Amino acid sequence: MNIVIKCFATLSRFAPAEAEAFSVAPGETVADVVARLGIPPDELKLVFVNGAHAPLATPLADGDRVGLFPAVGGG
Amino acid sequence: MPAKTASAQAHLKERILELAQGTRLADGRELPMLPGPLSLELARGLGRSRNPGHQPQLRGHAVALVERTALELGVCPERYLRNFDAYSLEEQLRLLAADVALVGLGGLGGYALELLARAGVGKIRAADGDEFVPSNLNRQLYATRRTMGGYKAAAAAARVKQVNPAVAFEPVAAFLDEADMGCFLAGAHLCLDALGGLKDRAALLRQAARAGVLLVTAAVSGQSGYVATVPPGEKGPADYFGAGAGAEDTQGTPAPAVAVAASLMAGEALNILAGRGPKLAGKMLVFDLGAMSFETVTL
Repeated sequence: MNIVIKCFATLSRFAPAEAEAFSVAPGETVADVVARLGIPPDELKLVFVNGAHAPLATPLADGDRVGLFPAVGGG
Repeated sequence: MPAKTASAQAHLKERILELAQGTRLADGRELPMLPGPLSLELARGLGRSRNPGHQPQLRGHAVALVERTALELGVCPERYLRNFDAYSLEEQLRLLAADVALVGLGGLGGYALELLARAGVGKIRAADGDEFVPSNLNRQLYATRRTMGGYKAAAAAARVKQVNPAVAFEPVAAFLDEADMGCFLAGAHLCLDALGGLKDRAALLRQAARAGVLLVTAAVSGQSGYVATVPPGEKGPADYFGAGAGAEDTQGTPAPAVAVAASLMAGEALNILAGRGPKLAGKMLVFDLGAMSFETVTL
């Protein structure tokens, strides 16, 4: 099954080439995917799954849209 | 109301109705309009009795009084004509009666202030202790060769006076600590967090909650940014981001992303102040101009 991954700001350097159709195994969670992408845990501050704030332990389903946000504070 | 004031007010109403001109909108509707120069002339006239024989000074509160009175009579001051009917006359009147606290007059704050002043928000207090340096020039609206080295709050005050004299603008050229924030927010209807960096944002969230006002917040890094509205006592983005370094320290804050974030912020602020309620309460609108993507997510 595939998910869509959007990495914002500095996390874009971890975005996979196949971000629009990223393959995940059944039972994989956001945390598993984040680890697979090599995102340092302290750089990830907010996770959104299908447009809602979600915990890292959220299991993923086919077609899920995952947004990953670092700390952003510039003005 | 004293009799003298009441009769002056009645006279002002009479004059506005005499001077109003019918304007036909593209859809055929008629809208009475008070031409800009006549608004200013009426405002000058309000001070005339005090110093006879002199060209009276244009006073901001007199301009505001003329504009409010016109709107109450269903007459649109010319400077707000192109706000119609994005904001109805009733909503425009609400904007003129609104009182906003803006923290930060850098990239976000400069653009946000400009938009609120042009929209006719009646009272704006804005705090920033910073002075302009050359690295502000890439994005900060009031950073110019002329304003370099000067207080951002002073440049903002000069600009607001030029843009819309009806706005009662109170500049505070100081960095606010958390206790200062509490005093600064007293009496405000809405708080705008246009701070740079994450250090003070959580404190402002706490103080906005204490003051019982909605907080519209925004931040940018590179081509990405977000805008959110935080109801009193609820969690805001800053609660998740901590007070450390932000992604902007490496990605910078380019003008388009800053201006977009500030425009969204001003749009939401005007939604709230016009009485329509917030559209981003408990939500976060995230954008990425690199991908031209916009999405509103629930926080």
